Amino acid sequence: MNEILIIARKELLSVVRERRVLFTTLVLPIFVMPLLMFGPILLFGNVAQKTQESVQRVGVVGVPVEVLEALKRAKVEPVPVANPQEAVQNREVQAALIYENGRYTLYGRLSGGATQSALVVEKVQGALRAYKDQVVAERLRARGIGTELLEPFRLEIEDASREQERAAGLFAFLIPYFLVLFIQTGGMPVAVDATAGEKEKGTLEALLAAPVPLMQILLGKGLAVFVMSLLSTLAAMTGLLLGGGMLRSAFSAQLQALQREENAPQLGGALALDPLGYLSILVTAVLFALLVIALMISLGLYARSYKEAQSYMSPLMLVMLVPILFLQFSDFLKLQDWFFVLPFVNVVLAIDSIVKGMVTVPQLGITWASTLVFAGLALYLAYHSFRREDVVFRN
Amino acid sequence: MIEAKGLGKSYRRFQAVRGVSFEVRPGEVYGLLGPNGAGKTTTLRMLATLLRPTAGRARVAGFDVVRQSLEVRRNLGIVNGGMKVYDKLTGYEVLDFFGSFYDLWGAKLKERIAWAAELLRIERAVLSKQVKDMSSGMQQKIVIARAILHQPQVLLLDEATAGLDVFARRALLDFVRQYAGLGKTLVYSTHVMSEAEEVCDRVGFMNKGLLVYEGSLQEALALGSGNLERAFIRRLEEVA
Repeated sequence: MNEILIIARKELLSVVRERRVLFTTLVLPIFVMPLLMFGPILLFGNVAQKTQESVQRVGVVGVPVEVLEALKRAKVEPVPVANPQEAVQNREVQAALIYENGRYTLYGRLSGGATQSALVVEKVQGALRAYKDQVVAERLRARGIGTELLEPFRLEIEDASREQERAAGLFAFLIPYFLVLFIQTGGMPVAVDATAGEKEKGTLEALLAAPVPLMQILLGKGLAVFVMSLLSTLAAMTGLLLGGGMLRSAFSAQLQALQREENAPQLGGALALDPLGYLSILVTAVLFALLVIALMISLGLYARSYKEAQSYMSPLMLVMLVPILFLQFSDFLKLQDWFFVLPFVNVVLAIDSIVKGMVTVPQLGITWASTLVFAGLALYLAYHSFRREDVVFRN
Repeated sequence: MIEAKGLGKSYRRFQAVRGVSFEVRPGEVYGLLGPNGAGKTTTLRMLATLLRPTAGRARVAGFDVVRQSLEVRRNLGIVNGGMKVYDKLTGYEVLDFFGSFYDLWGAKLKERIAWAAELLRIERAVLSKQVKDMSSGMQQKIVIARAILHQPQVLLLDEATAGLDVFARRALLDFVRQYAGLGKTLVYSTHVMSEAEEVCDRVGFMNKGLLVYEGSLQEALALGSGNLERAFIRRLEEVA
């Protein structure tokens, strides 16, 4: 045990001396996480608001005078154009409107995610809808009919999900994602340095010549990677929870305005778990970290150099992200207990269920037991690699 | 103190070391000489328990290299030319790290560090620097200090002067004789014959995995008319 701690201490001391690694694994996540979560939403909200308030040029062809007036009232400047589609493509105007044979056609640049043109199209659409409602109301009034004829009933949609699930919001998806991300990225620099790095720098042989059993060397290195992985994850979660909270209070007005809008994006969330829930997340994350660390050390030991180790470990990240993609569609699947045996998938599903307050004891038990077994197998693989002379002296 | 009998190491069809046998007594410096690729490093790695022999057996400080590997390592120090220590740690931290595996702590550790520093002519102030800020000669001295800190009965030096400047090389050669003078057993592996002439009591010539000659330094010099390199070539011609 003593040797394990001595080796772990040495690995961590080497990391502490590397300011770049410390910054990227411990400091950066605290600042990046809130920006990553709320930055794009706030930026988009700001741009959307400015688009609503300022005047944009819209190409028009054959549009009646009354509609032109309605557009002006909606802060749009109608500009006659010869070829509306081309004018939009060339960005001479943000959108273009044609009226022909009783039909309006609206052009905009609608591909490639959120564009300003799409917002202007919405603005013009809104103006046209309002004008249309006005014309319909006038025509009905002329015939002595009330506008309530067009609305025989009202429809209201309410979120019936559990309070904990509702409160979790995006967190249900983001927490597994960030756990996977930071457990690997936080531990990777130490894992690479402690394995392939030692080989490349020629320090491994001196360590192997010391009277320490291989398993203890392996566990010492694993412990150092584990500490860095958890610290990095903790930093990210701190950034997410505290930084996110600070950002939300600083921009509360903007965020509330955004949330009031129809189809508003989900803004973060809040963890409202009981102590057992937090403990369950912690145990799941720790077991998952053990598995990932054992895999990284196996790959690192096999590699001859830093570069080679990184090229082995990067695909591991992609493999671990696949279950996250799966998680997005998990609601369309009937969750079976055996899903919780699958490596990586089980951890992601379990955390998602814990955060939403829907996890069952068998699901959690299967997840923990299977992850522990997989971690054990990965540790054996690492030990087996470490015992192979052709792997250790492969440089 | 070192006994190797029929020691061999094969990698699939390639035989790196073929039935090597030799003995080294306490207080003796044994020169293992030969060109690059002769099998010297593989032989020493087997003695240091870093590689497992595929044939024969060896005992180091009375312990079997296969069955009692931890005991062997407790009584052995090894240095090779490519060996490095952690560049982000200071000299003290490196020695503290390796010393702790041999139960060297506190005052005892300080005493051993002072002893090794004096023997290898390492200035105390240098030990407070991070290894990456030291000259290559000083880094190699730290590598050696790490290997002798526990005052091992057996010390294996494999191309240990590689990359050293003239002062560091001189310090190392002087150290080899001094350490043998303490009754320790040393194997000095090199392809630089002049170094062997200076420090070795007995020599063994290795070529293509075989030990092709063994004798005292005087005998070997006589074989080469006063020159070890000539003796080596003559012996190779004889066995060819």
